[in-house]
Amino acid sequence: MSRVTPTPFQSPDSIRQHFEQLGYICSDAIATAVYLAVQLEKPILIEGPPGVGKTELAKKTAQLLNSDLIRLQCYEGLDEAKALYEWKYSKQLLYTQLLKDKLGDVLRGAEGLEASVERLHQYGDIFYSENFLEARPLLQALQQPETAVLLIDEIDKSDQEFEAFLLEMLSDYQVSVPEIGTVRAQSRPVVMLTSNNTRELGDALKRRCLHLYIPFPDAGLEQRIVATQVPELGDALREQLVAFVERLRGMALKKVPAVSETIDWARALVLLNVQQLDKQWTEDTLNLLLKFQDDIELVTPELPQLLNEINNTLPGMKN
Amino acid sequence: MDSTLVDFIQSLRHHGLPVSPAETLDALQAVAAIGVGNRERLKITLGLTLAKSLAHRGQLEELFDRFFDPPKTSASPLIQFDAPADIDTPAAPAANSIHSELGQLLLRNDQPTLQRQLVIAAEQAGAKDMQMFLQKKMVSNRILMDMGDRQLQKELRQLESRQQQLQLVAELQQQRQQLIDTINDYVEQQFLLYSRNRGNQLSEATLQQAKLSNLDSVQLQQLMRLVLKIAKKLASLHSRTRKVSKRGCLDMRRTIAANAALDGHLLHTRWKSTRIERPRVMVICDISGSVSTYARFLLLFVYALQDVLPRVRSFVFSNQMHEVTSQFRELQPEAAISQVIERWSGFSTDYGRALQDFSALALSQVDSKTQVIMLGDARNNHDLGRADIWKEVHNRAQRVLWLNPEDRSRWNTGDSIMRLYAPYCSMLETCNSLRDMERVLGRLLKYAN
Repeated sequence: MSRVTPTPFQSPDSIRQHFEQLGYICSDAIATAVYLAVQLEKPILIEGPPGVGKTELAKKTAQLLNSDLIRLQCYEGLDEAKALYEWKYSKQLLYTQLLKDKLGDVLRGAEGLEASVERLHQYGDIFYSENFLEARPLLQALQQPETAVLLIDEIDKSDQEFEAFLLEMLSDYQVSVPEIGTVRAQSRPVVMLTSNNTRELGDALKRRCLHLYIPFPDAGLEQRIVATQVPELGDALREQLVAFVERLRGMALKKVPAVSETIDWARALVLLNVQQLDKQWTEDTLNLLLKFQDDIELVTPELPQLLNEINNTLPGMKN
Repeated sequence: MDSTLVDFIQSLRHHGLPVSPAETLDALQAVAAIGVGNRERLKITLGLTLAKSLAHRGQLEELFDRFFDPPKTSASPLIQFDAPADIDTPAAPAANSIHSELGQLLLRNDQPTLQRQLVIAAEQAGAKDMQMFLQKKMVSNRILMDMGDRQLQKELRQLESRQQQLQLVAELQQQRQQLIDTINDYVEQQFLLYSRNRGNQLSEATLQQAKLSNLDSVQLQQLMRLVLKIAKKLASLHSRTRKVSKRGCLDMRRTIAANAALDGHLLHTRWKSTRIERPRVMVICDISGSVSTYARFLLLFVYALQDVLPRVRSFVFSNQMHEVTSQFRELQPEAAISQVIERWSGFSTDYGRALQDFSALALSQVDSKTQVIMLGDARNNHDLGRADIWKEVHNRAQRVLWLNPEDRSRWNTGDSIMRLYAPYCSMLETCNSLRDMERVLGRLLKYAN
């Protein structure tokens, strides 16, 4: 590979260790994906339920690379003018005005129309030139002198046309601007796309990417995540909390709590100075974990039993 | 290693994972970068590069475990068998009387070579091309022959007849039996890896071509699933959400270009307009007695259509016409279809009456952006056909399709009045198998986009 691999990216293990230093606890699959993305210069398509740290991964990767994170949020109707480039129209208009004023000077001495046009051609066509080009995220990412991280967030929200438009960018790291030509990446960015699967993405796009699925973490991993994010939380309470959330995920809820919600909850419990997960506290703070009234109503009557189960199993685990 | 990976990818394809050559290359590169030292990581790497959805990931992991489970050449019993030191002494002269290659290998208990030979022989014997489980025995035999079993057996027989070294013969017989077991296991594994899905694919292909009226109820269930699968496939292919109309958004680039000749004064405006016009579709389905064998599937077709296209209105009739758009939208396919059949089917056909109803219900809404699809056999019990209404529909609509479940040769025979309606159809098709259905649906969608 042409690119010099930065030290943290020498192996998946080293990536994971460095991520951990930044407070991002990740599984082997994630570390391997980032390693391959850097080694093979391929984009990663990240899927998974909301709140498992898809966007966070991009942020941490940028931090690790010591580079900028360029973010493009997708939505329906997003087009290349907003994603790639736009002309600076007001400047262009000013330029034509300027040109008109100066036209006399430029054409002085030219005889006849043909000679005038000839004279005009000697001046480069700067009307459509890089000076008037307003770079949007995709172009910005290509223009960065150092390897940047480009996050194309929620690609499934964009239209299919936009997806097709991305293909050139993703496979060759270049884009075509009709008036200028092809813009190639100065340094190939690390590209991450996230998707919540609201629609099926095209095969062509998937083929060009590594496909990383981030599931909910297992209990051990989640405990470590909470421990790094909310170090103030006591060990016993943390175990209770993670076990409780894990049980909730097993229930038929409209929206199961994600890692980010576990962390929010843990922070709240620290703020409230809770020492032990009991029915009252859980009931009062349940709205941090569950985002639908239906879900809350479903869980509340089960609370005593859930808490009982946790308290019964956990000491056993410790032994 | 590369060829092993390619074999693995081949087996993925057999199991329905769409792995492209480009992805194969990616996988090879990725594996080169990661190395093959760590089994778990190799699995992750292949998952990242080859499986592009969660379902595929699961399949890949399962196959990975099965594939990279090496052929168990039952190393441990053989080693145990060889271990007693006292055998060594008689075995040394015995080796002289065993000249066949396989015999030597077995005597030396050379597992690596045996394994390698097994894999090579299996490839030559076509272990990867097995389609039926009946082939397994044959392939196992071929592998055994390929590994030189014939010579070994000959030697063993000679020794036996000369009553020499009977102990050695017994040992070798036992080892040979173990080898056969190993081969059988390996062949079984290969069969599972490469051909489990082929049988399935075969039956799906046959189902697609079979006439809908010739299938039994179990097959019908299967077909039902298949139809929905096709509809889903088509839906995801064509699931372009309608764009918001962008009228009112100035296209500066084109505006400037349009006014270049006007001294930079913007006189002419250019607007961005990316509205996609999509046709409205109206589907009319005959569910009367004469098409009763097809009714379920015509309805399934209607259901699939409504699922796939954004603006579909569905109607059913036998003598009167009813709109069923809301039922189809709200209920699951099975429930919706049985409800419709229960409520409205079984009456005798009356196209005239039905068309009259249609003109009252929806004719005013048929316009130049509407496609009308009729599913029916045009068997009208010698009643008045009211082709004039159909003509009116044809005049108003963008396209009129008639899909007839009967073969072309049976049109216009008996009470079929297809000839009356035929002049007023933009397209006339036979539609009585799933393949027809898929083709028509696909064409419709292409047109719709």
